Amino acid sequence: MKWYIAKRLLWTFVVAWIALSLTFGLLAASPNQGQMRATMSCAAVGENPEECREDFRERNNLDQPVTERYMNYMVNMVTLNWGWADSRSQYVIPAILSAWPYTAQYAIPVLLISTVVGYGLGLYSAYKPYTKTDYLASFVGFFGISIPNFWFALLLIILLGVPLDFIPTFYNSGVPAQQGWFSIANLKQLIIPMFVLLTASLAFQMRYCRAQAIEQMNQEFVKVAKAKGADDYRLMIWHVLRMAAVPLSTSFVGQLLAIFWSGSVIIEQIFAIPGLGLMSFTALVEQDTPLILGTSLIGVLLAIVGNLLEDIAYVVLDPRIDYGDR
Amino acid sequence: MATDTFDNIDWDDQDVSSFSLSRETVAELLVYGAIVVTFLYDHYVLQNEGPLIGSWDVLSVEWLFAGTIVAMFFHGVLPLYQNPRMRGFYWKRFKQNRVAVFAAGFLVLVFFTGLIGPLVLEPPEVRFTNRIRPPVGITATIGGVAKTGTWKFPLGTTGKGQSILKLIVYGMRVSMQVGLISTVFTVVIGSVVGAVAALATAMDIGWLDEVLMRYVDVQSVFPSFLLLLLLVYLFGAKLWLIIMVYSFLSWEGVARTVRGEALQRSSEAYITAALASGADMMYVVRRHLIPNSANSVIISATILVPGFILGEAALAFLGFSDPTVYSWGRTISNGQSNLASAWWITTLPGIFLFLTVLSFYYVGEALRDAMDPRQQIEQGGGL
Repeated sequence: MKWYIAKRLLWTFVVAWIALSLTFGLLAASPNQGQMRATMSCAAVGENPEECREDFRERNNLDQPVTERYMNYMVNMVTLNWGWADSRSQYVIPAILSAWPYTAQYAIPVLLISTVVGYGLGLYSAYKPYTKTDYLASFVGFFGISIPNFWFALLLIILLGVPLDFIPTFYNSGVPAQQGWFSIANLKQLIIPMFVLLTASLAFQMRYCRAQAIEQMNQEFVKVAKAKGADDYRLMIWHVLRMAAVPLSTSFVGQLLAIFWSGSVIIEQIFAIPGLGLMSFTALVEQDTPLILGTSLIGVLLAIVGNLLEDIAYVVLDPRIDYGDR
Repeated sequence: MATDTFDNIDWDDQDVSSFSLSRETVAELLVYGAIVVTFLYDHYVLQNEGPLIGSWDVLSVEWLFAGTIVAMFFHGVLPLYQNPRMRGFYWKRFKQNRVAVFAAGFLVLVFFTGLIGPLVLEPPEVRFTNRIRPPVGITATIGGVAKTGTWKFPLGTTGKGQSILKLIVYGMRVSMQVGLISTVFTVVIGSVVGAVAALATAMDIGWLDEVLMRYVDVQSVFPSFLLLLLLVYLFGAKLWLIIMVYSFLSWEGVARTVRGEALQRSSEAYITAALASGADMMYVVRRHLIPNSANSVIISATILVPGFILGEAALAFLGFSDPTVYSWGRTISNGQSNLASAWWITTLPGIFLFLTVLSFYYVGEALRDAMDPRQQIEQGGGL
């Protein structure tokens, strides 16, 4: 098992290296926005655009050979020297460090709630499939997956925020600084964003858990457990959920991260929460390449680490899996 | 020769090819050829200067859409039409889920309205004299002026004076294009990669399978929404680019399904029988492995469609969309600034987006129940 985990760890580094190289390749191959802007701004004030272009290339080391730039880029990435973010007048790493708590404050609770409640409802649905409660749960699940979260957020603002004036419809970033992260005021302004994000991820977890659990319900070992007198609770949690958790864990991180990344960009943009999502959005709008790169890499690294954890969970959860030669 | 029996045939004389094209395949290839030829004519002879047919200037995505519709016709509609027994069986099981039948009806409506609507209706035009009008029968106060909806704009207008009805109809086409084209590409790429990986294992080329499936792992880790934002930033928001990124970054699920199914099947007796009677590997893949995993592929594909539609709408909402395309997401985003006074601008297109996505999920669920012979369908279904 140690050998298996060591191999997976090594593989994680390979994937990270591939991801970094791919990003470099993309940036090297694409039209350079900064260069075009520099050339255009020169032409606007009547200077020679060709000269400005050379000047810009020199300043940004674009005149060096590709291999040298690649080496520099890799060294910078590994030493966390991720560059200067123009749109925030800040280095990329401190920018990320200051933004992540705003995302984590709603993302972590949503993740926990959606996993616990989603798996619970999914198991309950699978316990009695094709009954009224299952259909109701199905409907709630489909509703949650289908409702576009950006539209749902606007709808909730129209329905609740505007007439009731009870729940704030925009995030005031001064509140956590003045009253603390865990204050009532901060919680109140996070209710709508969290609810919107919860609908999508909870529904996803529920549907997926139900499908996997139903698959497991027909297995021999469940019948054996039932025959030996296991009560429903023990049957569902100990036998079905544990086995269903194996396939569940292999797609958990990827799928959930996908929901979160698209979700957090949208949610933070609508409610003006100054977290990672809004930061990558403004970086894109203001064409701040180092910041775009930084926020994207955070996502990729999270996904890679998550995948590593998944692989480890895989062998821990299912003792039947032979990891000797993998 | 009437006296031909198994033991007196000279087998060396028999030159039987396992490669044969059915009439349908020939027809399908001819139609694809026709599309490619018209595309080349439009691209090189007309140079995209004027409209191709009448006043319809066929653009990049529409060519792909035409190909997609042809593919869906030859691989979905035609086989069902030719095989009444299979059609009857699936329909009997599908209609158990009553909600899904309604959903399917709604999708057919959206599909044809999106297909025909933009040919009949003029594109929604920007007119500042028509700014923000409520739908028929609703009176609202906008900027201190009371306005009542008229039949000229049945669903009202946006802040730019565009008719919301027209925006919705044009949005139907965009959604269908994104959902269906990406899914067809995803299914094709995923099936090929999955089949090749399974085949490699079956033929003892283990490293090829390992390489392909490791790549699939890497791809499934990549947050495609982020990569999409990055690519849109680098190369500009073109609808075909968005569709292609979805197509080339989302096939890993299909590939895993096909590989798993094919590996499972390749040890079954009928494959051995086919190989024993002289079929080559390509024939086995084409005739046995891919058709037999078709059910699982269709099931995973129906879940992909709504995901693509939602993704494109989300991108458009964030402002990363093709400015020449009337996406529902963009209309919803346009209404964001008039949220308090004019609720209909965001609400109406959103309802269509929501219902379309919901319908795809319901139809997908019912299809899974109908096509998976292990499922026992009992009474009722849906709600």
